[in-house]
This record gives sequence, structure tokens and C-alpha cells, in this order.
Amino acid sequence: MISGDIIREARLRARLTQRELATRARTSQPAVARWESGAVVPSFERLRELIRACGLELTIGLATYDDSYDEWILGALKKSPAERLEAAARAAEAWSGWRDRLEAARERASV
Amino acid sequence: MNAPPFDPLPLLAVLERHGVDFVVIGAAAAIAQGSPLPTYDLDVTPARDQANIERLVEALRELEAKLRTPTEPVAFPLDAKMLAGGDAWTLATSSGSLDLVFVPAGTTGYDDLRRDALAVDIGAAEPVLVASLRDVIRMKEASNREKDRAQLPALRRTLEIIRDRERGGTMNAGG
Repeated sequence: MISGDIIREARLRARLTQRELATRARTSQPAVARWESGAVVPSFERLRELIRACGLELTIGLATYDDSYDEWILGALKKSPAERLEAAARAAEAWSGWRDRLEAARERASV
Repeated sequence: MNAPPFDPLPLLAVLERHGVDFVVIGAAAAIAQGSPLPTYDLDVTPARDQANIERLVEALRELEAKLRTPTEPVAFPLDAKMLAGGDAWTLATSSGSLDLVFVPAGTTGYDDLRRDALAVDIGAAEPVLVASLRDVIRMKEASNREKDRAQLPALRRTLEIIRDRERGGTMNAGG
């Protein structure tokens, strides 16, 4: 997630306008707009200041790199939105079928 | 009881045909944009003005909406005043489960979500509005429920890949 999205998310959670955040962070509204759009990338220190100006804390940590979602995401991005929703509905139906069979098997086992 | 299977496209088409102003939120919004999440229901945020609620009531009548309960769906008097009086409704319809959430966590409702929403073609006469991925993340962060937090890595990764593509990047399955 790019820093611009994090700044926007924090600002909206704090219910601030770009101008209000700019005032709190002692900068200008156009500067906030440029950071949020991704046109300009703030330093990590500046990003942390902006998040704090929203009354929130930016926490970071290190984890093992995980690209296990990428295959699914890239596959989904080749489809149209309607095709993605249809696939989700088919998956839900398939899971529902498995669940019903599992419940039936449990009932038979308990008799 | 065999509930009607989850079938989001006909459900959305009925809302659209009745002229209901709404934004798709939740997992369905994320799935429409490429996120690899499962879902078993459709969550929408309708506009809360009186005329829209009346159109929504008509759509819900066509969808034979009932209250969703842990056992059987329960019929209830569908009228605009009653619907407007609740902040959230969990419904069973002829096209599967439908949740109405007027003010999702971290937002101020329809007008807030509409600003950044995408118009998505679902094969109906008009496109439907789908909450942007960054707003889906905002809602799931704010709700702070365990099941929502578990979905955040996949959502953030989807947004990262989409952002990379928008910038002409070359991010692929290998990262």
C-alpha cells in the first residue's frame, strides 16, 4: 500500500479535510494533495508526522515476504468485475455444498 | 433449510432497475476489483434520503426480502419508515443474503463512499457503484473485527498491484 493511501485513510478516519490536516502538520493543502495522489512520496519521517497529526500512530514491523496472494490476484485481474463476482458466487455455492455434505455425514455418524 | 444460493449479479440488477442509489461495499466490492476473498453475501450502503428508501423498499419486495436469522428467514413489514429507522439490516432474499449498512465503520455513509467509488459494468442497464479498494480497506481497518483484519493483507496486496499497474510497473507473481 503506497504512502498516499495510508495518509488518506488516516485523514478520513480522523474526519479531517486536506486543509485541516495541512494546518495540523504545518504544511499546505496542495502538499497534502500531492502526497495523497502519489505524485510526491513523503519520507518515512514525514509520513509518520502526518499520521500523528491525524491522532494515529504508524506502526511497522518485519515479516517474511509473502507473495502467495499474487497468483490469485493476477488471475482475477484478467477477468471482468462481473466475471469475478460470478466466480465468487460459484465458489460460495460449492463451499455450501461441501458444508451440507459434511453436516449430513456428521448426523449419520451421530445416529 | 436450503437458502437461495448467493447470486450477486441478479441482486444488483434488481437494485439498479429500481433506481436505488447505493454503493457496493465489503468483500464483494473487493472481489469486483480483483481481491482473492471469499464471500457469501452482498453488502451495500444505500443513500438515506426518503425517495431512495422508497425505491429500495420496492426492490426488496421484488427480491422477497426477509430478516435473516440463525434458523429460518422471518418475514417483516417492509416499509420505508421502518427501513430508515435502522442502521443495518441483514436480509435473506431470492438471490441470497443481502446486508444493508447505512453507515459502515470509518465512514459517514453513502455520500462519503460515492466520492471515490468506481462505476462497474455488471451487465445491467447501468453500471453500479462499487466502493474503492482503499475505502474497503478503510472500513475493514475501522471495524477492527478479527475476520476483517484477516482480510487486510490480501486487500493491501491487491491495491499495491493495481497501483503498480497504474504507474506502468512490472510487478508480477514473483513480486
